[in-house]
Amino acid sequence: MSEILKGRAWVFSDDVDTDLIYHNKYLAETDPKNMPQYAFEYYPGKENFAKEVKPGDFVVAGKNFGCGSSREHAVYCLEYAGVPCVLAETCSRIYYRNAINNGYPVLFVKGISEAIKEGKIKDGDQLEVELSTGTIRDVTNGNTFHGDAVSDLENDIMEAGGLMNYMKAKVGAK
Amino acid sequence: MGKTSIVKIMERASGHPVKVGDRVWCNIDWATCRDFGGANAVLLFEKEMGKEAKVWDPDKLAFTFDLQAPAHSEKVATNQKIIREFCKRQGVKRVFDINHGIGQHVMLEAGMIKPGDVVLGTDSHMNLLGSVGAFATGVGNSDIAASYIAGKNWFRVPETMKIEVTGKFKKGVCMRDLLTHIIGDLGAGGMDFLAVEFTGETIENSSLNERITLCSMVTEMSGKVPLIMPNGEVLKWLVERAGPEVEKLAKELKADPDAEYCKVLHYDVTDLEPLASCPDAPDNVKPVREIAGTHVDQVHIGSCSNGRYEDIAAAHRVLMAGGGKVSPTVRTIITPSTTEVQLRCVEEGLAADFLKAGIVFTNPTCSLCTAEHYGAMPAGDVGCSTTNRNFIGKVGKGSHTYLMSPMTAMATAVKGCITDPRDILK
Repeated sequence: MSEILKGRAWVFSDDVDTDLIYHNKYLAETDPKNMPQYAFEYYPGKENFAKEVKPGDFVVAGKNFGCGSSREHAVYCLEYAGVPCVLAETCSRIYYRNAINNGYPVLFVKGISEAIKEGKIKDGDQLEVELSTGTIRDVTNGNTFHGDAVSDLENDIMEAGGLMNYMKAKVGAK
Repeated sequence: MGKTSIVKIMERASGHPVKVGDRVWCNIDWATCRDFGGANAVLLFEKEMGKEAKVWDPDKLAFTFDLQAPAHSEKVATNQKIIREFCKRQGVKRVFDINHGIGQHVMLEAGMIKPGDVVLGTDSHMNLLGSVGAFATGVGNSDIAASYIAGKNWFRVPETMKIEVTGKFKKGVCMRDLLTHIIGDLGAGGMDFLAVEFTGETIENSSLNERITLCSMVTEMSGKVPLIMPNGEVLKWLVERAGPEVEKLAKELKADPDAEYCKVLHYDVTDLEPLASCPDAPDNVKPVREIAGTHVDQVHIGSCSNGRYEDIAAAHRVLMAGGGKVSPTVRTIITPSTTEVQLRCVEEGLAADFLKAGIVFTNPTCSLCTAEHYGAMPAGDVGCSTTNRNFIGKVGKGSHTYLMSPMTAMATAVKGCITDPRDILK
């Protein structure tokens, strides 16, 4: 599959914690469909993300994206907003696990933390992302990045559409 | 080549040899949820498996109502009810309702946790149970719901970092300061995906509350699990609570002397001084003396990091040494981690001293770890807290928090501005 996803970049720093992605004020929410309205409400300068994000836009971040809480809301609020994937230098293990378990792609992109700091990838840049190869092209300024797709068991869980589906198939549940 | 503790634990839990980097399926000893995340897990399980589906073993499920206990809103009250009703249908007996306290602490006190146990929970600080050698880790609601199906879940066998600690703390300095020092050193992502073993004389001689403080903060460096195999007084305490098997497990699961580590760090605490995590990140660390005098509106002592009896008693000593009153300009709140801790504070007279000092002494709960419980702060206010996070706007948009030890927090409450506890504990 060589589908190329196209969308705008929303660019974030290193160490974006889960309270910035989805604030603890809204933890009592249980329906994932209601979660996108709160995405990045507490991130300085990105308060309008929820209103302005369009399906297909990408979240681009530096190191240790999603550090902090185990709240899965922080994955749902992007997934249900139509953000097709997160492009980050690294993400925290807790966020990574929640993403995999929902079949939600996170690409680990070498050098993107520095590129963000140096202004080589900016808010609003048009990106083209090929998930199968991990190639990310910033059409606006001509830079190309490479992300590592998941491998091993994580890939099998992703392909099953998430951990619940994977487990159901594994134990032969209806 | 010898084995690290996490390798031994995962071999025991998966039933076969493992090596670093392997993906393995481990048997789950406890699949736990708080009032937060609990309703999400329960609803997901029923949506995917059907209302009639049974969990694999109701005796391995637990629910702890701690984040927002008692419920502060109709939504939270409803979520708690969803959990209670699920437990009734499923025959789950371990429901620690609003009168118990912070989940990991409650389960420890109830004797539910042994070295080597695999414990999942919808609390990112679940891994503080590594303070008794359990592989406990924070997960989302999908991990919990999926675990209900067959009592198993997947893990990558992590590399292990070893941190050796030597020396004795000077007066006014404690384990919280060491941890703050380590976070400042390694940064918010300094332990991402790693297991961490704490060793050395300072650790071997430390008490359970100190080990809990140390382990609870590993999450703030994105660590997977901290591990300290019980010894000495901690071992004795755990055997009394969880049974004689603990002793054998602690011995078996201790890392081999020739185990391989991805990194070995050494810290000596002899010359350590009181430290604080400044706004708005746990790894923004400065010595307390450099920020002394900073205006403060609110002080909070408690949480899963520093809500044990010994933590509160240390704050009490500072309070009494400082004249027994907190500054009238500072709202001071103390929250014990469990009812057992709260009761001891009452029986030993600490609670009365706190009330006379002008302090709000609350029921056991997570309280100030969210903006949606009591103690939320308005924009522009500055707080000091012994909780584990001071992310931007965490307890109220536009407010800012310094994280510190219970002694520093109380010294600050007494003086009305950030204060080095050594100025009071002379």
